[in-house]
Amino acid sequence: MKFGRREIIAAYVLVAPFVISYLVLFIYPTIKMVELSFTNAPLIGAGDWVGLANYVKLSKDNLFIQAALHTGYFVLLTVIPTTLIGLAIAMMVSRLNGWLQSLVLAAFFLPYILPVTVVYLIWTWMLDLQFGIAQYAIELFHGSRVAVFRDRYWAMPTVAFVTIWWTNGFNVLLFIAGLRNISQDIYDAAALDGASRWQMFRNITWPLVWPVTALVLTIQLILQLKIFDQIYLFTQGGPFNSTYVMVQFIYKNAFQLNRGGYAATVAVALFAVIVVVSVLQYQVLRVRGGKS
Amino acid sequence: MRGLMTKALATAALLALTVGAQAKETVVWWDFLSGGDGVRMKSLLDQFNKENPDIDIQATTLEWGVPFYTKVQTSAAIGQGPDVMTYHLSRLPLGASTGTLREITPDELKAAGLSADNYGPANWKAAQVDGKQYAIPFDIHSVILYYNKDLLKKAGLLGDDGLPKGLDGAANFEAALAKLTTGPDQVGMSIPTADNGTTWRVFYTLLGQQGGEFITGDKVLDGDNADKATKALAEMAKWTKEGWVPKQTEYPASIAMFTSGKAAMHINGVWEVPTMADLAKSGKLGFEWGAVQIPVIFDQPATWADSHSFAIPDRKGNELSPEKLKAVLTVIKWMNEHSLFWATAGHIPAYLPVTNSEDFKKMEPNATYSSLAKTAVFDPSSKIAGVASPIYDAASNYFMPAFNGDGEPADAVSAAKDELQGLLQ
Repeated sequence: MKFGRREIIAAYVLVAPFVISYLVLFIYPTIKMVELSFTNAPLIGAGDWVGLANYVKLSKDNLFIQAALHTGYFVLLTVIPTTLIGLAIAMMVSRLNGWLQSLVLAAFFLPYILPVTVVYLIWTWMLDLQFGIAQYAIELFHGSRVAVFRDRYWAMPTVAFVTIWWTNGFNVLLFIAGLRNISQDIYDAAALDGASRWQMFRNITWPLVWPVTALVLTIQLILQLKIFDQIYLFTQGGPFNSTYVMVQFIYKNAFQLNRGGYAATVAVALFAVIVVVSVLQYQVLRVRGGKS
Repeated sequence: MRGLMTKALATAALLALTVGAQAKETVVWWDFLSGGDGVRMKSLLDQFNKENPDIDIQATTLEWGVPFYTKVQTSAAIGQGPDVMTYHLSRLPLGASTGTLREITPDELKAAGLSADNYGPANWKAAQVDGKQYAIPFDIHSVILYYNKDLLKKAGLLGDDGLPKGLDGAANFEAALAKLTTGPDQVGMSIPTADNGTTWRVFYTLLGQQGGEFITGDKVLDGDNADKATKALAEMAKWTKEGWVPKQTEYPASIAMFTSGKAAMHINGVWEVPTMADLAKSGKLGFEWGAVQIPVIFDQPATWADSHSFAIPDRKGNELSPEKLKAVLTVIKWMNEHSLFWATAGHIPAYLPVTNSEDFKKMEPNATYSSLAKTAVFDPSSKIAGVASPIYDAASNYFMPAFNGDGEPADAVSAAKDELQGLLQ
């Protein structure tokens, strides 16, 4: 099929607003950021070209290595758990019918629409050392109350827990869509053959919902590598750097220490990590999913 | 023709009106003052606007600490932001190093009638970086020891003059805390142990009482200063470990413990004086209260102190016009001259004619604790020091856990030392 000149022009005109805004708002700043990472610029204003000095410094920066490890720890605590919980909730919700299903789904989705600041307020009260209702649960299992955000062992898992609570609704929604795409006929046929519920899950639901699982895992991975808001509000990276993560490291260097160039270097490093890890993960998951 | 004439006249009249209106200079003002401070500043601003019809202050209050200072820095860099703002003197070197502050030249000071003679020499010098004036001090504020006269009297720790006695020296102070503590609901002292600012202020006070210095030259906690820092932190950790000071207490909760009589003493900023005074006045306090300088727990009297000051942001490409500058300096001068009212918020005015006045000397409890100004230790003059600075972060990240019994004080000090030293390079 051949397009006439008028059609081609029309196509360009229609595509242009997106392409231009994408170039101006995404590509240009990204290029500037990479450029900035080779300079010693302050937060605002130009700096001198320093070559790879920032990258050399970064590789030796103990705090950066700590931040990278903590980010990894946080990803470990959130990505797979939130995916599995999302799937479990979706499977339970999809067994319900009618308005009850909508109601339960809404209940699980509600936290997701809250701004992070509201989530912060809710959970600081819930977990308040003196007045928090959640402290009774902690007391029951742990024996004593814990100032969870001020304890170096509790802080990160607690932030991870709150994050899962907050963002899980979206995963549930994706999984519900995935589950609805599986034809009821397959289940009916399996039931006729006397398949048990576990066998149905293992051999029908799990492989057929796998594309959605892979998608959720990837989205979560990218999202959680960029963890910042919750950390900034709940712990500010403390205590003893136990929740110090990569974006916090960028923020601190840029806005508190006035090191624009160095902060850009960390941002480039984080960018590279996210691209590599997420592409790798998605490919691995796709291959695995295809085989099973 | 006549219609045209009328129109022209009307236009001219309107133009004249606008010109007349422009003669009134507006001053955009940003501060970070909330609570008792905020209420008092608001009434000072109202009074100023009433007394000075040719200047109109448009004031905005922003959130104290990191949010305020980040906003000021970024807006100044792009030529936005206020004409005048409140600024902590402790943070002045950091502000000057990031190019956020505009120098106030000697000529401008002279023209505005602002003179160094009216301020304490150390205070005035703290408003300079490399000999250049970047701010005008407004007050000196510090931490003080609030005490419950009834409880101290019962424990035999109150002198006939109504002041605490027998609190000097670590051994005596600890004995007093132990005596005043009878259980988790009746403790010797409450401190906002979950607040990084307070942690730093108490720590720096105890460091200063040993003659220790946080930064010497370009070294953080050099030589035996690290040992002194450890000793200071260990003393604080001991208070919480023994149950004399409740752990992990949020700022408002620690005040509530004192005002409800559950804590016999309380360490906090002078800015909480109005809280106690107002409660006592309305008869809700239930006990007699007082406030004194922090006792000498180690070798010499010393108390952490900072200053609120006024500074002008260096708005790149949008500098203040000479008329605006004149109005701004008029505002600053007026505020200093009227800072007796500011003292009711607990602060010690920076302006000596006010602190030397009979009215101030009669003001209690300010007059009792204002002696602290003589031995006050200000935050180190460094670009890593001051409110919302890396040092405050380190206090939150390392010192606060140790204060609350999580980790060894020596480890906290050496970790903070390493990190901060790295930032000075």
